Amino acid sequence: MQLQGVIDSAVEEVGGILLGKEPQIRLALCCLFARGHLLIEDLPGMGKTTLSHALAAVLGLSWKRVQFTSDLLPADILGVSVYDAKDASFSFHPGPIFTQLLLADEINRTTPRTQSALLEAMAEGQVTVEGETRSLPAPFFVIATQNPVSQSGTYPLPESQLDRFLMRLELGYPHPRAERQMFERRHSGALAINNPQQRITLEQLEIIRVAVSKVHASENLLDYLQRLVAFTRQSPEFEVGLSPRGALALLDCAKTWAAMHNRTHVVPEDVQMVLPAVASHRLVPSGDYAGDGNALVDLLQRKVDVIGS
Amino acid sequence: MNIQQQVPRNALVWIIICLFALVAPHAARLPVWVLAVYVIAFIWRLQVHRGRWSFPGRWVKVAMTFSASLGIYLSYGTLIGLEPTVALLLTAFALKLIELSQRKDAYVLLFLGYFICVTEFLFSQDILITLLSVVNVTLVTTALVALHQPGEHQFNRGTIKLASTMLLQAVPLMLVVFFVFPRFGPLWTVPIKSHTAKTGMSDHMKPGDVASLSQSGDVAFRVKFEGEIPPKSELYWRGLVFSRLRQDIWSGLGFYEVPLSEQRPSKVSTSGSPLSYSIIMEPTQQNWLYGLHYARSNSPGVMQSSDFRLFSPGPLEAENMYSVNSWLNASADESLSDWRRKAETKLPPLGNLKTRELARELRSGVSSDEEFVDAILARFNIEPYVYTLRPGALAGDNQIDQFLFQSQRGFCEHFASAFVFMMRSAGVPARVVAGYQGGEINPVNNTVIVHQFDAHAWAEVWIEGKGWVRVDPTGAVSPDRIEWGLEEAMQAEGSFLAAAPLSALRFRSVPLLNMLRLRYDALTYRWQSWVVGFDRERQFDLLQRFFGGISAQIFATILLGSWVLVLVPVAISLFRKKDTHPVSRWDKQYLIFCGRMAKLGLVRAPGETPGQFAQRAVAELPVYAKELEQITRQYNAIAYAKVDGSGGSMGEALGRFTRTVTRFKPARRRGVIDETVSS
Repeated sequence: MQLQGVIDSAVEEVGGILLGKEPQIRLALCCLFARGHLLIEDLPGMGKTTLSHALAAVLGLSWKRVQFTSDLLPADILGVSVYDAKDASFSFHPGPIFTQLLLADEINRTTPRTQSALLEAMAEGQVTVEGETRSLPAPFFVIATQNPVSQSGTYPLPESQLDRFLMRLELGYPHPRAERQMFERRHSGALAINNPQQRITLEQLEIIRVAVSKVHASENLLDYLQRLVAFTRQSPEFEVGLSPRGALALLDCAKTWAAMHNRTHVVPEDVQMVLPAVASHRLVPSGDYAGDGNALVDLLQRKVDVIGS
Repeated sequence: MNIQQQVPRNALVWIIICLFALVAPHAARLPVWVLAVYVIAFIWRLQVHRGRWSFPGRWVKVAMTFSASLGIYLSYGTLIGLEPTVALLLTAFALKLIELSQRKDAYVLLFLGYFICVTEFLFSQDILITLLSVVNVTLVTTALVALHQPGEHQFNRGTIKLASTMLLQAVPLMLVVFFVFPRFGPLWTVPIKSHTAKTGMSDHMKPGDVASLSQSGDVAFRVKFEGEIPPKSELYWRGLVFSRLRQDIWSGLGFYEVPLSEQRPSKVSTSGSPLSYSIIMEPTQQNWLYGLHYARSNSPGVMQSSDFRLFSPGPLEAENMYSVNSWLNASADESLSDWRRKAETKLPPLGNLKTRELARELRSGVSSDEEFVDAILARFNIEPYVYTLRPGALAGDNQIDQFLFQSQRGFCEHFASAFVFMMRSAGVPARVVAGYQGGEINPVNNTVIVHQFDAHAWAEVWIEGKGWVRVDPTGAVSPDRIEWGLEEAMQAEGSFLAAAPLSALRFRSVPLLNMLRLRYDALTYRWQSWVVGFDRERQFDLLQRFFGGISAQIFATILLGSWVLVLVPVAISLFRKKDTHPVSRWDKQYLIFCGRMAKLGLVRAPGETPGQFAQRAVAELPVYAKELEQITRQYNAIAYAKVDGSGGSMGEALGRFTRTVTRFKPARRRGVIDETVSS
């Protein structure tokens, strides 16, 4: 099928840069196809920025990159009105946010004030500067990267803001084989020239969107989804369960995943595939539970029965 | 600290409740400062919890431990013995709370809590104490449950419901263990209660002893007669025989003071059917038992002395039940050995000269010993002697002279002592007997309750041809005492239980209260005879009655069988519970399929999707790859895909799926392997 081919070639293109990370690349694409913002979290030097740049290139979107630092101000992102002496009036200089894809590097290194400036933009696709609301170009994606919260010099994103990211991905260390390949490439000096090309056009994005909207989610599947959500709210291991928005995100992503794999209906495997990326940053373990969000997702995967109620 | 090691707030609250509930029954026995330690520990831990104070440092802990031990030592004078040990345990229990920071500390504390529940029974096995212990066990269990309920940041009363349910589920097993589990002899002995006062009669008697014992409303023992209860005036419960007077103190002859030939009681000829009764004695820490005149007992651990007393080889540290046969008319010691005659007429060489003279004078005026007895009793009756609980103290030498000729006020021990002294002065063998007289008949269960205030002393005189004859000089002074009991006798004086203004016995005139008291006493009797008194012999009797002969195999079978009987219903009810959820028809079919796979050892994990399960199953059983794939595809189509026109309607799809599942009958593992090999 044509769609499948398009997606596969996009994955291949990104995979040529970020070796051995196909599942993460697919999930990242799934997130963008579902019109959600993506958060990539891992230690420095794991390829977060590489991935986000490659994604931007593959989608062929206009993109801007903001390196978040601790002294970054909201105006630096949103834009500012400057007095034009020639016209004797203020004119608005749009900030880097006025783009289709915003790459927010190390988002948790900046202050909460600046972080929250992103909020309205991410939620509503518009920004309000000096009392005037301006809409952002469509589509509008944010791909943010951040270091693990425990690292020094970070301002953890508040839950409300984490919830606005449809997915959070962790890249993890590369497979030894992929790493070896990476060494060899660097050695032969082949890496630099390999700039990714656009593989998905805006029209194709729209086609995918239509395909996703046609994906069927059966009663059985919705039951399973509800069981998952109920489990996070009832089990003592969870301090904060999945919000209704989180539950909807899970459904959207599962549908997108199904569409990406050329199916017209969702199967439980789809839910389980997207579950870690969609849920782990929305779940808060209770004080007595030793594990983190990932452990909670694992618990969820294992404990909630796929069949029967 | 590791989060897993944290003690949830709910558990902490329950632990503190436990702490105070556990110390409550001990409170009266403990030094006041131990209770203060509890309050301090509570406040300290509370402040730690609120973040105001910190946990004690190592040296503070050492200092506290040391000073607690020192305090116990100073309070009791020793660290050995039951009370100091328990006090030490309880103090340690409180101190442990202060350093309670981790789960493992809580475990130590709670398991210690169960042990503390048990220590309560070393002091009392009363029915109320047992009820209290049930409450305490529930509280400790609740705290234990709370420790395992993560995420309880608030105090949760519901935890006790769960704990109570768990304990209720354990009740059948508890009963099985109680009735059937072999009762071994004690594997170790607990230290003797060196600090509890020995209660009841003591092994010697001086003027004022019985009177002070009569201030107590405690129960000494309870008696159940097999036939009718004899009249109260016949109920002389012999406990001790005092044959020796030394410095105005009467005492019994020690076992080794009696020559070997005299150590066994002489044979007593009995006639007629005996009076049969059983006695449950409260613990006394002494070793004598009580019985009516000429008592014989077949119960284990009951022995008879040469002066026809019953005694037990060791002190009574718990309720003790024994049965007795008595012949009220039997004559004991029809002939008296020389040694005994000498022992029973011996008096101190000096003192009480006026009494001696009076005795000789009276004896010379009559012709026989029996008339001599009557003469003395008549004198007690005619002269203005007063029977009183407040005789006033006698001091110095010649106390019997003082009593007989000056004060003339006395309680039973004064009369008995003076009477025996006079008898012996005239060369008649006589001795003082101490025990109880009378008792209260409980109409609820027809038992006789003998209280401490029924304590009494009387005399026995040896008469030629009749043996030892009971003479009660008190009866000559105050016949009411013998007929009606102490309360009636002391009505005018108002001194009955004067020291215990709130004793329930003082309210016998209020019918409702009296009825409640008697009913509770009947309950106590039942408790003592059925639960506390359920020892190895009774267990054997019971099992023998139901199962005939008892052997080790039968014992083990009964034990295991009853456990199975108790546990199987629980297991069944647990199994049932799982099956109550409504399931759609295709899910039902799929679960049937899963059940068949489970029989082959392939169990679907809850989180496993049909696709993943099929993959695993195919890897295990490649023979059925086709069927597995078909079932999974059909199920997925029905459960997850929109049933489309091409495959027919929903009903048809379901029918096809049902048929596929029904046809799929995987063989047992062995068969599968064979098939694989052959194909």
